[in-house]
Amino acid sequence: MPNILSSATSKQMTKLIVYGVASLVLYVLLYLFEDEVLAFTEKGSWFFIIPVTAAFVFSFSHGNFTSHFWDVLGIKAKK
Amino acid sequence: MELTTSFIDLNALDVTYLLVVGFIAGLVSGFIGSGGAFVLTPAMMSMGVPGIIAVASNICHKFPKALVGAIKRAKYGQVDVKLGLITGVSAEAGVLYGAHIQEGIKRAFGDAGSNLYVSVAFVIVLGIVGSYVLLDALRLQRSGRASTEKVSPLALWVQSINIPGTMVYFKSLNARVSILFTIPLGFATGMLAATIAVGGFIGVPGMHYVLGAPSLMASATELVVAFVMGLGGTIKYAWSGLVDIRLAMIILAGSLFGIQLGAIGTTYVTPHVIKLVMGVIMVLVLFSRAIVIPVYLAELEILSPLHPHLATGLKNVSFIILIGALAAGAAIIFAALWRGIRLHRLELATPVPTAVSPSVAVPANPQLSPLGRFERFLVASDGSEYSMGAVRAAIGMAQKCGARVRVVSAIPGGNAELYAMGEQLVGRELDAARSHLDQVQKEADASGVACETEATQAGELHEEIIRQAERMQADLIIMGRRSRHGLARLMLGDVTAQVIGHAHCNVLVVPRISELVGRHFVVASDGSRFGDAAAAAACNLAKFCSTPVSVVSVTLPSHSDQRREEARLAVNRIASFMKKEGVVTETRLPEGRADAMIVDVAKERNSDLIIVGSHGRTGLERALLGSTTEKVLNQTPCAVLVVRSA
Repeated sequence: MPNILSSATSKQMTKLIVYGVASLVLYVLLYLFEDEVLAFTEKGSWFFIIPVTAAFVFSFSHGNFTSHFWDVLGIKAKK
Repeated sequence: MELTTSFIDLNALDVTYLLVVGFIAGLVSGFIGSGGAFVLTPAMMSMGVPGIIAVASNICHKFPKALVGAIKRAKYGQVDVKLGLITGVSAEAGVLYGAHIQEGIKRAFGDAGSNLYVSVAFVIVLGIVGSYVLLDALRLQRSGRASTEKVSPLALWVQSINIPGTMVYFKSLNARVSILFTIPLGFATGMLAATIAVGGFIGVPGMHYVLGAPSLMASATELVVAFVMGLGGTIKYAWSGLVDIRLAMIILAGSLFGIQLGAIGTTYVTPHVIKLVMGVIMVLVLFSRAIVIPVYLAELEILSPLHPHLATGLKNVSFIILIGALAAGAAIIFAALWRGIRLHRLELATPVPTAVSPSVAVPANPQLSPLGRFERFLVASDGSEYSMGAVRAAIGMAQKCGARVRVVSAIPGGNAELYAMGEQLVGRELDAARSHLDQVQKEADASGVACETEATQAGELHEEIIRQAERMQADLIIMGRRSRHGLARLMLGDVTAQVIGHAHCNVLVVPRISELVGRHFVVASDGSRFGDAAAAAACNLAKFCSTPVSVVSVTLPSHSDQRREEARLAVNRIASFMKKEGVVTETRLPEGRADAMIVDVAKERNSDLIIVGSHGRTGLERALLGSTTEKVLNQTPCAVLVVRSA
C-alpha cells in the first residue's frame, strides 16, 4: 500500500483531500440539519429544488472524491 | 410528528446496509449502464421505508449517479450524448405512460394486481431479452471471438432505412438512423423503468441489437438516458414531497464509489463480459420475480390461498435471489477487473521492441533539388470520396517521377483511453481503412508503382500525418480536403490546413473531382524566397510531365509603379530560369486580389495544378491574417501544390 500511495502525485492527493473534506462537510451538515431538511422537502411543490440541488452538489463533490480515490489507489482506466 | 410517519429513523446498521448495497448497485450500473437500482427499492422497503418513499428516494439517487457515471465514461469516449438525450426524452414520455398504467392497475386490482403486473412484466421481458443477451455472450465466449462484435442483421436493416426528415447521424452507430426507430426504443425503455425500475434492460440491448451500437457504447449511453429519466422522476416525486433526501444521499455515497470502479472496469474487458453480466443479472432477477407470482395470484384469489409461511418464504427467497443477482454481477465484474489489471500490468512490464522506420528504397534516378524533389510521397487517405482524387494523383505522379508511395489511412482514436472505450468502433473503422488500402495497393501494383500501406489511429490526425512524413523523409504529402469555411474553420480547424501549416515538406492538395494529368501548371510568385521555392518545384515537376507553365505575379491597383516593376522582374527571372531548363513558359501580371487572380489564370489556361509558396502561418496568425494559399484552395477546383521554402 505505501508504494501505491507514494506513486500518486501530490496534486492528486491534494484534490482527494479537498473533495473528501467537502463531501464530509456536506454529509455532516445533512446529519446535523436532518429534521429541517426533511421538513422542507416534505412540503413538496417548489421545494423540489432542494433535493434536486442537493443531488447535484453532492454528486459534484463526492463524485470527484471517489474518482480521485481510485486514482490514488492506482486503479485507473486502461491506457 | 408527521415526519416520523413518512420518513423512518435511521440507525448505524441501516446506513451501513445502504452504503454496501449502494456500492454494489453502483458498480453494476457503472459497468452495464443500469441494473443496479432494482434491488434498492426492496432493500429500503425491507428496512421499513414506505414503498412510495423508497421508489422516490431511489430515483433521486439514480440521476446524480448516472450523471457521474456518464461523465466518467464520456472521458473514455464511450458515450453518444446525442443518442442518449434523444432516447432519454422519449423515455421520459414512456415513464409517464408506464406510471399511468401502473396507477390504473393499482386502482382496479389493488397492490396484489400491481405486484402481479410488475412480476409478469419482469418475467416476460427478462425471459426474452435476458436469455438472448446471455446466450449471445456465451456464444461469443465459445467462438473465441469475444473481443469482436458484429452489427446484427436487424441493426443493419434499421441503418439502411432512409426516412427523409427524420434521419440523424449517431457517432456510436457511425451511421444515420431515423429517429422513428429511436423514439419507440426510448419509450419502451421508459415504460420498463416505470414498471420494474430498470429501463436499461431494454435500453442497452435495444441500442446494441436494434440500432447497432457497440455494447460498450450502448451501456455507457444508457447512463445519459438514466440521467434524463431520473431527473424527470425526481422532480415528479419531489414535487409531491416524497423524496427522503437522507436515504438518497446515503445510497449515493456508496454508489459513487461503485460507479467509478464499474466505469474503470469497462476499459479492461472484452464486449462479451458486458453482455455476460447483464444476461446473468437479468436471468436471476427473472427467477426472483417468477417465484413470487403464485403469491400474488393467491392474493387475487386466482389460485387457492397459500399457507402464510409459504407465502413469506417465497417472498424471502425472491429477495435473496434478487440480492444474489446483484452479487453475481458484481463478482463477475470484480473478477474481470482483477484479471484485466493484472494482465495490463504484465503487458506494461514487458519490453516493447524498438519501432523500425518504414523502409523506403532509393529510387533508380536520384534527384538532387531539395525543393523540387519528388521521390517519396506520403498519401493521407481516409478512404472517403474526398481523398480518392489524392490517391489517383499520387499514383499518376509516382509513375511519372519514379517515386515510391506510402499510403496512410489514419482514423481518429489514437488516444489510449478512447481506444479502450470504443474498441469495437475503432476496430470497425480500422477494418474499413484496411479494406480501402488493399484496393489502393492493387491499383498501385497495376500501375507499376512501388507502394506500401498502413492503417493507423491517431489522436490528432495532422500530427500523425506529419510524423509519418518525417519518418519516411517524404518529399511530398498528398491529401484531399474537406472544406470548412468561416466560423467552422476557425473553431474546428481543418486537417489539411493544419498539415500545410506544420509540415516540413511540400503538400499537394487534390480536390475530390480534380484530375492531375499535366495539362498546364500555374506557379504564383510574390518575388519572395517563398515564390522562388514554388518556382523551383514547378520547374522540376514540369520537366517530369512535359507541361507548360504560366508564371503569375499579382499586384493590387493601389500598388506603386516600383512594386509593379518588381513583380515584372520576378516573373521574368523565373521564366528565364525555366526556359533554360527546357520548360515552355509564359508570364502573367494581373491586377487584383491575389487569390482570385491566380484562380482566374488557372481557369483560363485550363490548368490542373496551381503551385504556390507557403509562408507557414498557423494558428492565430493564420486566422487573423488569412492565407492566400488557403483562399486559393477554397476557390479552385484543381489541385494545389504548396511548397515549403528550405
